[in-house]
Amino acid sequence: MDEEIKKEEGVSTELDQCMRERDEYLDGWRRAKADLINFKKEEAERLGALLRTGNENIIRDLITVLDSFDLGIIATGESNPAVMKGMVLIKTQLEDVLKRHGLEKIVVTKGEMFDPTKHEAIGEMGSEYPEGAVAEEVERGYVLYGKVVRAARVRVSKGETKQ
Amino acid sequence: MAKILGIDLGTTNSAMSVMDGGEPKVLENQEGNRTTPSIVAMSKANERLSGLLAKRQAVVNPKNTIFSVKRLIGRKWSDAEVQRDSKWLPYEIKESASGGVDVKMGDRWYTPEEISSMILQKLKVDAEAKLGEKVDEAVITVPAYFDDSQRQATKNAGEIAGFKVRRIINEPTAAAFAYGANRMKNEKIAVYDFGGGTFDISVLEIGYDAESKEQTVEVRATGGDTHLGGDDFDKRIIDFLVSEYKKQEGIDISKDPLAIQRLKEAAERAKHELSTSMETEINIPYISSDATGPKHFLLKLTRAKLEDLVRDLIDHSIELVKEAVTAPQPKGAGMKLEDINEVLLVGGQTRMPAIQEAVKKLFNKEPHKGINPDEVVAIGASIQAGILQGDVKDILLLDVTPLSLSIETLGGVATPMIPKNTTMPTAKTQVFSTAADNQTSVEIHIGQGERPMMSDNKTLARFILDGIPPSPRGMPQVEVTFDIDANGILSVSAKDKASGKTQSVKIEASTSLNKEEIERLKQEAAQHAAEDEKKRAVIEVKNQAESMIYVAEKSLRDAGDKVPADMKENIEKKIVALKEAKEKDDVEAIKNTTQDLSSELQKIGEMMYKDNKSGPEAGPEAPSEPKTE
Repeated sequence: MDEEIKKEEGVSTELDQCMRERDEYLDGWRRAKADLINFKKEEAERLGALLRTGNENIIRDLITVLDSFDLGIIATGESNPAVMKGMVLIKTQLEDVLKRHGLEKIVVTKGEMFDPTKHEAIGEMGSEYPEGAVAEEVERGYVLYGKVVRAARVRVSKGETKQ
Repeated sequence: MAKILGIDLGTTNSAMSVMDGGEPKVLENQEGNRTTPSIVAMSKANERLSGLLAKRQAVVNPKNTIFSVKRLIGRKWSDAEVQRDSKWLPYEIKESASGGVDVKMGDRWYTPEEISSMILQKLKVDAEAKLGEKVDEAVITVPAYFDDSQRQATKNAGEIAGFKVRRIINEPTAAAFAYGANRMKNEKIAVYDFGGGTFDISVLEIGYDAESKEQTVEVRATGGDTHLGGDDFDKRIIDFLVSEYKKQEGIDISKDPLAIQRLKEAAERAKHELSTSMETEINIPYISSDATGPKHFLLKLTRAKLEDLVRDLIDHSIELVKEAVTAPQPKGAGMKLEDINEVLLVGGQTRMPAIQEAVKKLFNKEPHKGINPDEVVAIGASIQAGILQGDVKDILLLDVTPLSLSIETLGGVATPMIPKNTTMPTAKTQVFSTAADNQTSVEIHIGQGERPMMSDNKTLARFILDGIPPSPRGMPQVEVTFDIDANGILSVSAKDKASGKTQSVKIEASTSLNKEEIERLKQEAAQHAAEDEKKRAVIEVKNQAESMIYVAEKSLRDAGDKVPADMKENIEKKIVALKEAKEKDDVEAIKNTTQDLSSELQKIGEMMYKDNKSGPEAGPEAPSEPKTE
């Protein structure tokens, strides 16, 4: 009789363990399934982001070409208006291409307050604007799909110029 | 379960990583970058800024922009380091009431812990935004040479930022974790860490106690130069470019901040480019101007020149490594260079080939460099976090197939069913067919290895599936399934779809090769890659030839008398020619003869279409991967 009870107890412990293990494995399996589904979702999202910003490096490199155009246009301006116009047109072409790929210029207005989320200070200068305002834009800044890929480089006003 | 953030709190830049699904993942900050400048500032508008935003206004607000605070944290004012740094740091520092250091930012004095905590807080906020959940715990790394006070101060910084700091670990240890040191036993590791502003060398000894199953990581020696870093490399290049420009144009551009900015960008780009190519061009139009008009800068920079510019810096770092490894304790580890089992490269500057070469030459060993050197410490910190969380220890270890599992197809080719490095459990089914008419059985020959010919691989099993109803070659569909369970047991079954007849075999030892055997097989595959490829190409054209012969013979049979005798004779001749060519190994000859027969054969088609609109039935497509018998 005792032996039978013992045996039954043994079976019941074994059953308990099996059930515990079953739950554990079932949980693990469900988690693994969920992980996979979640991974696929994240992957799709990541891929979407990659498609949008995958060009970031090449666009960053092209920004330096735009800079050179800006400087070129300024330097050529008065001496040769025809050449300058051509350069402006080529630059606009390039800008249009980049715009189609999500690049936007940061608009900087002289006198607006310096804002490190879109401006990068490269120096200070005396100006008619109050201290801490943008006195001059030296190099344009750009935003690619909402991300500042380059802050606009500016000189910050030291306050009124005393002549 | 909330995640624990792994943080590499660097002197110049910081990075963060978390374990995600058992894998470390570096998190981007709010600005979308994977590293964050370790800078905080009180702006002129009295706003507290950290990271990139603080950096962007540093030039116009140097007194209130705090960088390199890691150089001060946990140190006494009287420390020689602090005294030395106080001379060049542009912001104000003073002795604190407790003999430590205080830093002035805005109109308040802060402890270095408080400043560091602002960087950590930014990381925390950005990580929470990225993960969409609260992050309350962190593992933070510190240099191996940090003393108790510096460690405690770093921990305090974490707590001020709102973290429960689960552990402070050494940067080289974190790097070693990232490279899998948590699975290593009894190894000596040298970690060469060339950061933006500091150079550290650490010698670690990993021990494993079999009884307690505990792993210990002991720092045997540290060394380095706290004022040597990647920034010095950049400065050398910029100085060189400035002097070259002066030579070219007679203009000093070192005082023009915009020109310097453009030079700096060009120098960085050149440095990156020269990591992979031997020469690059610095091309900066309109960099300056004089009375004669605008001036440009065009210069070819070779890798050799770049290495020349920084040779002494690299040599200096190598001397420091030698000292740290070989000098008797406590100055060094008191080891021989050849005692070092593994060398790890950390820090962005180690991307430079000259550095990799110098380290390799010193240790006579290829250093590890697979992981992004800017992120390796943060990754290691998150692995430590994962271990604490039970993520790493408890993750279900899924094995991968060490070698490809293949089935033999026509011509003795090993056609992979499950490629190597596939995570198990996994299954793959593919349909094969017969190679000859009226073939009633196929032999399934299962092998393991990377060589394209089955005879060069290891045979695991063979079995025969028979009872296939007689039919033309390529018609029967034999479905072969390879299934490996989580224990590495491979079951292979073959089923004839027409008769439903099935045969299968179970192979227990498909993944139980020992490490040496796997390595040997992989090496063999690499050694024989070229000749194997040739062999496989020969078999491929031979298979194509065979299919062509089959199609030709069948077409002649099917067309019967409709084909004029001369055409038939011509085709038969070409068939014989191809059969002969097929016996030799001349790929070109077989290809040409196959092409000849193919063009000849097309004539039948053309003729039949002309004569009879209904045309002959096309022969069955030759099976793409028929099974030989």
